[in-house]
Amino acid sequence: MPPMKSEDTTGPVYWRSLEELQRTPEFREAVKREFPNDAWDQLPPATRRQFLKVMGASLAMAGLTACRWPKEEIVPFAHRPEGRTPGVPERFATSMEMDGVALGMVVTSYDGRPIKAEGNELHPDSLGALSAIAQADVLQLYDPDRSRRLLLREGGQQYVKQWSDFEASAVEDFGGDGTGLAVLTERSSSPTRSLVRDRFLDTYPKASWHEYEPISRDNEREGTRLVFGRPLRVHPKLDAVGVVACFDADPLFDHPSSLRLAREFAGARHPESGAGARLYVAESSFSLTGVRADHRVAIASSRVPVVLARVAHLLVAEHHIELPAAAAGYAGEAGQTLSGEETRFAEHLASDLANFQGGGAILVGHQQQPAVHALAAVLNQVLGSTVEYTADPDPDRPTHLQAINDLVAAMRAGSVQTLLILGGNPVYNAPADLRFGELLGEVPVSIHLSLYDDETSQRCTWHLPRAHGLESWGDGRAWDGTWTTRQPLIAPLYDGRSALEVLALAAGMEHTTGYELVRDNLGGRFRVLDFDTVWRRALHNGVVGGFAWETVSPRLSPGRLAVAVDGLRALLDAAPPTSERLELVLTADSRVWDGRFANNGWLQEVPDALTKVTWDNALLISPGTARDLGIDDGEMVVIEAGEASIEAPAFVLPGQARGSVSLALGYGRTAAGQVGNDVGVNAYTLRTTAAPHVISGAKLRGTGRKYALATTQDHFAIDTLGFEERNLRVGTLVREASLDAYLANPEVFHEHEHHPPLISLWKDQAYEGEQWGMAIDLNTCIGCNACVVACQAENNIPVVGREQVLNQREMQWIRIDRYFKTEPGLRSDEIDDAEVVFQPMTCVQCENAPCEQVCPVAATQHTTDGLNAMVYNRCVGTRYCSNNCPFKVRRFNFFNYHKDLADTTMMQFNPEVTVRARGVMEKCTFCTQRIEAVRIGARNDNRPIADGEIVPACAQTCPTQAITFGNLNDPESKVSKLHEEKRSYATLAELNIRPRTQYLGRLKNRADGGGDVGHGAPHGEADGRGKETA
Amino acid sequence: MNEDKSNDIFIFPRWSWVLRPAVAVGALGGALYATIVVTFGFSPRATDVGYAPVQPVPYSHAVHVGQLGMDCRYCHTGVEQTAHALIPPSQTCMNCHKSVRSNSEKLIPVFESYSTGMPVEWIRVHDLPDYVYFNHSAHVRRGVGCVSCHGRIDTMEVVSQQEPLSMGWCLDCHRNPERHLRPVEYVFQLDWVPEEDQLALGARLRETNDINPPQDCNTCHR
Repeated sequence: MPPMKSEDTTGPVYWRSLEELQRTPEFREAVKREFPNDAWDQLPPATRRQFLKVMGASLAMAGLTACRWPKEEIVPFAHRPEGRTPGVPERFATSMEMDGVALGMVVTSYDGRPIKAEGNELHPDSLGALSAIAQADVLQLYDPDRSRRLLLREGGQQYVKQWSDFEASAVEDFGGDGTGLAVLTERSSSPTRSLVRDRFLDTYPKASWHEYEPISRDNEREGTRLVFGRPLRVHPKLDAVGVVACFDADPLFDHPSSLRLAREFAGARHPESGAGARLYVAESSFSLTGVRADHRVAIASSRVPVVLARVAHLLVAEHHIELPAAAAGYAGEAGQTLSGEETRFAEHLASDLANFQGGGAILVGHQQQPAVHALAAVLNQVLGSTVEYTADPDPDRPTHLQAINDLVAAMRAGSVQTLLILGGNPVYNAPADLRFGELLGEVPVSIHLSLYDDETSQRCTWHLPRAHGLESWGDGRAWDGTWTTRQPLIAPLYDGRSALEVLALAAGMEHTTGYELVRDNLGGRFRVLDFDTVWRRALHNGVVGGFAWETVSPRLSPGRLAVAVDGLRALLDAAPPTSERLELVLTADSRVWDGRFANNGWLQEVPDALTKVTWDNALLISPGTARDLGIDDGEMVVIEAGEASIEAPAFVLPGQARGSVSLALGYGRTAAGQVGNDVGVNAYTLRTTAAPHVISGAKLRGTGRKYALATTQDHFAIDTLGFEERNLRVGTLVREASLDAYLANPEVFHEHEHHPPLISLWKDQAYEGEQWGMAIDLNTCIGCNACVVACQAENNIPVVGREQVLNQREMQWIRIDRYFKTEPGLRSDEIDDAEVVFQPMTCVQCENAPCEQVCPVAATQHTTDGLNAMVYNRCVGTRYCSNNCPFKVRRFNFFNYHKDLADTTMMQFNPEVTVRARGVMEKCTFCTQRIEAVRIGARNDNRPIADGEIVPACAQTCPTQAITFGNLNDPESKVSKLHEEKRSYATLAELNIRPRTQYLGRLKNRADGGGDVGHGAPHGEADGRGKETA
Repeated sequence: MNEDKSNDIFIFPRWSWVLRPAVAVGALGGALYATIVVTFGFSPRATDVGYAPVQPVPYSHAVHVGQLGMDCRYCHTGVEQTAHALIPPSQTCMNCHKSVRSNSEKLIPVFESYSTGMPVEWIRVHDLPDYVYFNHSAHVRRGVGCVSCHGRIDTMEVVSQQEPLSMGWCLDCHRNPERHLRPVEYVFQLDWVPEEDQLALGARLRETNDINPPQDCNTCHR
């Protein structure tokens, strides 16, 4: 069909997917179905006989259900522990460690079952927030696929063993001076583990020690080594007003301190308190930071050094910044041709950096080469940036790639007799050219400690079940070095042991329980008589004060800088990628990370922030490149990189750099478990030691076959008429303005509200007590999905699986709407780049709620504090409410999703929230269980509810504190004040539904003052809709 | 004769017509009967009230509360603070029964539990559906006596359910709490009777203690 031109020519066009914009035949077919999530037409036709059978069964069941419910037992403690009240949740500070950084969290335990993880306010990397991944760790604990026993694999047979068997055989395996003994572990910052490692290496001086992580910040570390002569840890700060430039960096999402950085970024972004940093982003694929950028340019990863070098050149040549003599090589004309867009970006950035000296920062992504990090470090140093440094905690550690290379060389030489692998999954995630799996089979004794009997375990002789983080004692260091404790909330479910304990056992230490090791280690640092008090306080707070590393003021090291300058020059000479010689960027996945969370249903089902794809990874390709290569959206393509090739579905993503395609790691697992097996494609097969992140010269070939990606982006779509109508409205749903426009005219967000007088058919309800409301700040929301998972954990929301997501039956109560925004008048086949805006959408608890007005059984009702209560046991499942909901935030239980869950998984359920059965509608309740808990407590104490005392799960975990909840009847409450702000607006005000959640408009702070007002459609008198304004 | 009778229709003989009114009466009567059976026979008042399961230990509230005068809160420690009143741990029983009747056969399950650490499996008498979130502290702290829902526990040898605990029954009180309000200090006194008219007292207490029981669905259902 001919590409459609958007009719609206005055303002930007908002759209959710290319299919929608193009109105492809498939899309039209899909929206034609009135009830897309019904599957009637997919069922075999029911015969009369079937019907009678079903009816007969229903009648028989009806007789059974009328009796008194089954006998229930109450089993009190025989001896109730002191201070413990059954049925009252307790909270414990603990932590989880990923890639050698400990993240503090506070876990709620209900009668001994940890059910929900929240951030630890005292922890510098959390500040009370928690990422989606860290929250989902609780579900991993209860995963029924976790390994439950020790396995010994010998001669093609598999034997179930006990720990005592392993201990006996370990005496033989770990003998002598450690010749032929090698250890491969995950990176860990645990001080106790360092201690145990040292003891282990003392016992076996000839043993070799290797640490490997597939995703790391090693390039950054090596970059600092080039510049300062020693490895340093980089600590960006985003709260200083000025300018932040990100080159392939995503500080708001994939940095170990991203929760803190997001808080700082958002804190500075309130126009009432200051403009906040101006954010420049140059990147190959959309990151969450890129979405927030004021200036963004989509460039291939291999072009990043070129643009950064041009910025350096401009700073010296035009803004008279002096580089130190050793770094003078950076100033030379790079000689590279830049596109107009790249040049404009570099010019704006250079002049802003020069203006904001002392208040800016240049950040480079972990997939960029050390030489690029080195240049950024030099510029940061010269410009006096806000970036801080501390000494690297483990300066002698080789890079992870080097470490696994060394191990593989030793294995190849046959000098490894016993290999102890603590955690990790190297068979799956080591670079493909090392052929780690094959070599592992030749090691006589290999031992793998792991949560799952995974790819690596299956190639080892011994598999040991690992205790989950919530089952074991431990400690760790935050990114800034803060000592972080970890305590178990539950005894190991499956007889697992922690890496610490196994290592201590192998080292032949006297104390091998995690508790003793961790406590003794901390005790050794305190010379106090009353260590017990210190210990209890450490466990209570989750952090121990006084251990953060001191910042250092490094000096440039001239000797190495020459190497860095040469290294950069080599990068500048590389030819830019083209459609024929593509650049393939392998990225950490936003949900399963490096693959370790592949068996986690919550994470698999969270839609990726940008693509909205669930249960899959897809090859991201820019519309322009796709057109060049003749590849359709959703088509299976063959990617050839070097000697390897794989097939993956293509996802055409506007805003992706031309000539650059991205594929997330972490999918295509074969031994992850029931949930994660065979989901997506395994990008590790393309990864080599030479090009672990950016592979150049990749080729792409379409196969013509289509693959149905389970994306949620077109769900609740409407026909063309609706699309046009919505397009007129999106500008009023997601309101944007430039900072300058807002400062000049604070009413800019309300200029376009036109609707007839709003008269209600219903009598207004009077509110005497509380009246709950919410405010969501679009200016600080970064679309990170933390709220979605928090809500899922808090409210017992089921995981429905890929098939059901394809049927538009996803259940998450919060949906983060992602709109692409393009200039008006652009034809759908001209689109290449686009801006993105996020809008978290959940039930806004309308005052005049359309859902309440159509429910035939009054199952959804207005409460005296203004909520739309959903009464599950009254609901008969007509779904009228969902059809009448203008925001499409109601979710229907098409099946008894909870019925077949494993007993352990059910242990995660929040007992304060009903588990919904089939045939029942559900939706956001503003966490009514939390409201009631606080209300009852306050009433018991005869005091009013304080502002901020009730915090819904989403608001609690939001890293940027974009969500505020409170009492609208109290004019002094935070939420009332936010609703009074000029940026605050109600969505779909013209329907007179009076939502209780209001949004605060998004601002852009471009250097050229540009940035548009979202609503530009014909309006007012022109469309004859009346002149009144609310 | 090869007559094919397959197409013949069956016609009721004339004599059977007299049965027609009987069928009509039967159908109507059946519907009425079913309605009555369901309404009254299946109501919580019929099925639940009087439920008195045999407990593993024949604990007598009549002896402990009625005769010995023990306070409810000695065992049900959570009742003023939390949602659950709490069934006491075996330890609580043993505070006295270490020395009192320490040879009684009836107490064997408690002794066993105390020594092995395994719980006594009591049988729940007052069982609300899982989608109901009742909170004891919210009622007790406002002056709703134990007796209002549980009856005269202090006279029961075997605890039995006295009230239907149905939603209608809950709402009766949430709409008109006056009939069940008492001064907070008498909440645990099961035999307390007001000296004045209950309705007048209830209305006064409601006014002074600012008691407005919510009738929203989400008060109890979450």
